[in-house]
Amino acid sequence: MGIPVAMISAIYDLALTTGANRVVRGARIEHVCGDPHLGPEKDYAYGLRIVRTALGALAQAVAGPTLFDPLAGGAAGAAGQEAARHAS
Amino acid sequence: MRLELGSFPVERVVFADRTRWADGTLEVHRDAVLRAVRDDPRIVSAELELAAPGESVRIWPVRDVIEPRIKVEGAGVCYPGICGRPIATVGEGRTHRLAGLGVAEVSSVNWHDSGGDFVETYLDMSGPYAAMYPYHRLHLLCVVVEPDPALGSEARNDAVHKAALTVSDAVAAATRGLTAPQREVFELGPVNEALPKVVYLWCVHSPQAMSGSPDAYCTATYGLTQLTPPWYLHPNEVLDGALTGSYRTAFAMSWTVANNPLHLDLLRRHGKDWRFLGDIVLRTEWTTQHEKQLMANQAAKLAQVLGADGAIVTWDAGGNEFIEVIRTVQACERLGIRTVFLTSEDDATDGAPTMLEPLPEADAIVSTSFFNNHTLGVPEAPPVRRVIGLPEKAIQGDRRAGTGKDVMVPTAGPLPPPRRYDDHYGFNSLSCIE
Repeated sequence: MGIPVAMISAIYDLALTTGANRVVRGARIEHVCGDPHLGPEKDYAYGLRIVRTALGALAQAVAGPTLFDPLAGGAAGAAGQEAARHAS
Repeated sequence: MRLELGSFPVERVVFADRTRWADGTLEVHRDAVLRAVRDDPRIVSAELELAAPGESVRIWPVRDVIEPRIKVEGAGVCYPGICGRPIATVGEGRTHRLAGLGVAEVSSVNWHDSGGDFVETYLDMSGPYAAMYPYHRLHLLCVVVEPDPALGSEARNDAVHKAALTVSDAVAAATRGLTAPQREVFELGPVNEALPKVVYLWCVHSPQAMSGSPDAYCTATYGLTQLTPPWYLHPNEVLDGALTGSYRTAFAMSWTVANNPLHLDLLRRHGKDWRFLGDIVLRTEWTTQHEKQLMANQAAKLAQVLGADGAIVTWDAGGNEFIEVIRTVQACERLGIRTVFLTSEDDATDGAPTMLEPLPEADAIVSTSFFNNHTLGVPEAPPVRRVIGLPEKAIQGDRRAGTGKDVMVPTAGPLPPPRRYDDHYGFNSLSCIE
């Protein structure tokens, strides 16, 4: 139903508590989609990974607010793992 | 830790051929004080001007207001660690303060060059805008100072703030050999064990993330402005200036930190209504969820280890910093520490929540009204007769009229209030609109 949205956020718990269904863990508030401290190549690779995780999240059905972690492995990330870890 | 705070009331300030305090009158040797300020080779220009309560005068830009305090007994110096001052632990012995006096730091220097935060505070000494802040009841000794523009941001800030502290030290020193007319002793001595134990979680902004510099000028603990894990400070350390302003609102100055009514109340009612455990100072504006949650967990853990039954939480910022603050409330509540949160509220237009993340654990909130002057409906400040500082001020253009750019207007003319109001510590009695 409707248009699926993947929200990339460094403050992902806020996105989850306010009801965003597909939340992708971003890097930092200053640089959400990458990390300039990694140098150009790794920064680009990290950014690509975040964006691909977001695209993967769009294609995935979710039952409610779900966190997708680009660093947890797999294109779609390990949905729910991070959310469980941080909700405690 | 026992601190005697001696107050010397200031009812009149005059320039004279010596600096001394007697019977409520502070005489200031303008040339000698300015010589000490100009002794710093980084300073290009420096002037001293006076603003009295009720006077038709406007001060712009105000970077900080400092209450002159000096240690006359015990280790260290007041306002320790700032601008290279000694970092010996303070809070013990005897401290003198000039009550009713503020040293206003007036300069065009902005906090850092990274954008996002700008000095926007101006102060009036009379009129409805002045009445919103505690400063209109003070005598303000204004240090109008400009540093070498070729210096870097940190050096310019250091030079300007050091100039204000030099003036503060010079006038406070006038009380050194005198007996204070009013004396009050602060200590967290043993009390009835049955009293509830209360801790103050004092959240203050760090400029590190926004400026990218570990040395950017701002709210400081012993002069440090960096993003550091939570600090435990004895309240007496704060009375000696171990926690200072300033940040971007008129309520986040060094003067308001030293005179925080909530903090003084917690201290004065220790042993009567509760056992005050002291201050946990939490630096805010961490920039990942991990860091924010970690600081909240650790602050709550500290409160628990101290044995807190209850906690009072305040903060001095806005935006994403709300997360570590509200998560601290949540973490305390989950450890069984009852928590009261003092905060301003955001604009509720179109039914938006007035808090960024309204968590159910934050179920005891004291509202100090709105964050923004605009939401509060504060009218323009009327014209004034005299200006201390810069003759012109930038104000935001009118987007509806298609003139969205900032425009320069005379400081003396009618002026819109600064964007933020945000009474962090409950100086006023404004609250929420139901």
